[in-house]
Amino acid sequence: MISQNALHHAEKCRFCFMCRHLCPIQLQTGKEINTPRAKGLILSMENKGTAKFDRDMAQTMYECLICDACVNDCATGYQPPLFIREARTEAVANDLAPESVMKLLENVEATGNIYGAEKPSFAREGKDVLVYVGEVAACKVPKMAESLLKLLEQAGVSAKVLENEPGSGAMLADLMGYVDEVAQEAKTLANAINATGLKTVVVLDSYDAEIMKQRYAAWGAEIHAQVVTATQYVSDLLKAGKIAPKASLAKKGACHDDDRLARTFYEFEPIREMAKAAGFELVEMFNKERLAKSCGSAVTLAYMPNIVLKVASGRWSDLLRTEAQAILTANPQSYLCLTQNVPEGKEVVDLYSALI
Amino acid sequence: MNVLVCVKAVPSTGSVQVDGAFRLQRDGAKLEWNVSDLSALEAALSLKGPEGRVTVLTMGPKKLEEPLRELFARGVDEALLLTDPAFAGADTFATANALETAVKNHGPFDLILCGRRAIDGETGQVPSMLAAALALPCITGAERITPEGSGLLVRRPVEEGVQMLFVPMPAVISLCEYTYSLRLPGIMGLRRAKGKAVTLLSPAELGIDKENLGLSGSLTRVIQMDSKFPGLRKGPKTDSLSQGIPAILSVIKEAKG
Repeated sequence: MISQNALHHAEKCRFCFMCRHLCPIQLQTGKEINTPRAKGLILSMENKGTAKFDRDMAQTMYECLICDACVNDCATGYQPPLFIREARTEAVANDLAPESVMKLLENVEATGNIYGAEKPSFAREGKDVLVYVGEVAACKVPKMAESLLKLLEQAGVSAKVLENEPGSGAMLADLMGYVDEVAQEAKTLANAINATGLKTVVVLDSYDAEIMKQRYAAWGAEIHAQVVTATQYVSDLLKAGKIAPKASLAKKGACHDDDRLARTFYEFEPIREMAKAAGFELVEMFNKERLAKSCGSAVTLAYMPNIVLKVASGRWSDLLRTEAQAILTANPQSYLCLTQNVPEGKEVVDLYSALI
Repeated sequence: MNVLVCVKAVPSTGSVQVDGAFRLQRDGAKLEWNVSDLSALEAALSLKGPEGRVTVLTMGPKKLEEPLRELFARGVDEALLLTDPAFAGADTFATANALETAVKNHGPFDLILCGRRAIDGETGQVPSMLAAALALPCITGAERITPEGSGLLVRRPVEEGVQMLFVPMPAVISLCEYTYSLRLPGIMGLRRAKGKAVTLLSPAELGIDKENLGLSGSLTRVIQMDSKFPGLRKGPKTDSLSQGIPAILSVIKEAKG
């Protein structure tokens, strides 16, 4: 039941092989089936009746980070994540998704997050902005969330965080595509945000910011407040002189442009402004900004850790080709993936903590 | 509430070609559900209530079975497809007649919703013709429907503002495009959809004489189509307001003779 639009994206590939050189998973596994064009081809075969959508095919559809690198560079302008997400919907609806994926979905059903654990609360009252922490920061990278909130406090911003913060739908959308269950989660969060009456929502995780800004309105889940990324918000506070820059560390660092900031928002300067203000001497990795290589995402790390560890190693290889001692990030998902296998003598720096 | 929604598969605007005689080349064009019909469908799904049912009704080729099955995943309970070569070439009158018979055979319905017009024909006549054939009240071009007592309160945009109209049920209401966002298919819906089948209906099953269907049952024929503005954009062009206004006035005076 792949849509006509998704099939169009799957079948019109010109086989120019560009995505083959960009896909971070294909680069690490070396498997031809991991290229976006191969995924399109097998879905096209399934549509023509020459292949069956089975467990193997479903597994292949999950061996993708949905990092959008292929979209960014596709010569024909096609969007493989469109048909990959729909194929995941098919996989879940037909009980063909990998067991590790189904386990995460069970966790979401039981606890509201992929980790199957109670989500730590950062709830607080505030009158200036609402901060949306997100489940990855709350459950796995709490220090980043604490640092952002402390930074805002130091800058004189009174920040509110929701009690029992609902999920954004970003995780579910990566696991089973854009389905009604995701839209329902979006509506719950939008209603909770709108009920605060605050005019600005500062979103820590760019994956959450993406779905809120790009999908919610079409699902009837309009957020009345302005949604801004935490990186942009903190960068604006720096420019306004409300956060004092740190003394030079005489340390070289390279900013990692996470998938969503790099290829959804084209937001490159704010994290570099934050890095400079934190005292780092900036160097750049070869694959930067829109061409930045993904280091993995929290959801893929949860269901295919072995592959994502290789992907993160790929990003570390980019850093090792520079003089930088540290890789700098302001995204909890990138921080989580990069900290899984830090090369000796190198470090991952959370830019919010570095600015305190 | 038992709601029927009439939907039409129209050529996708991105894929359809127009020939030298200004006719749509439907063969090979991708089909998609008419945009205002999707608003009607979402309105039906929102209004039906826990005990209610939503039935979709369409007329077209058998290949619409799969797109109709996709609507099951969005919450539709039953799908009726009028499919036979005899239905082809129907004008709005013959279409409304065919729909009327299907409604009578599969009803009764508390409410019949349609899109306000299809983007291929752009007539907007079928909802009111269907209502007339069924002797039901009709409100066209609605943007919001709310249950009110034994009937419905309907908001309808007009040039000067909005009208709030009350209509008893059963009734026929047509919806403006983009007024309701059609919900996404859900995983549970997709699973349910696998066990459901589209009901295919032929003229014989509906008990309609083929003479009253399609081209032979139509009251109108398209004889010829032409461009409305053959001389458009051939006049003098200027960036200067002081020169442009007198130029337009002179064109108007010339046209008035």
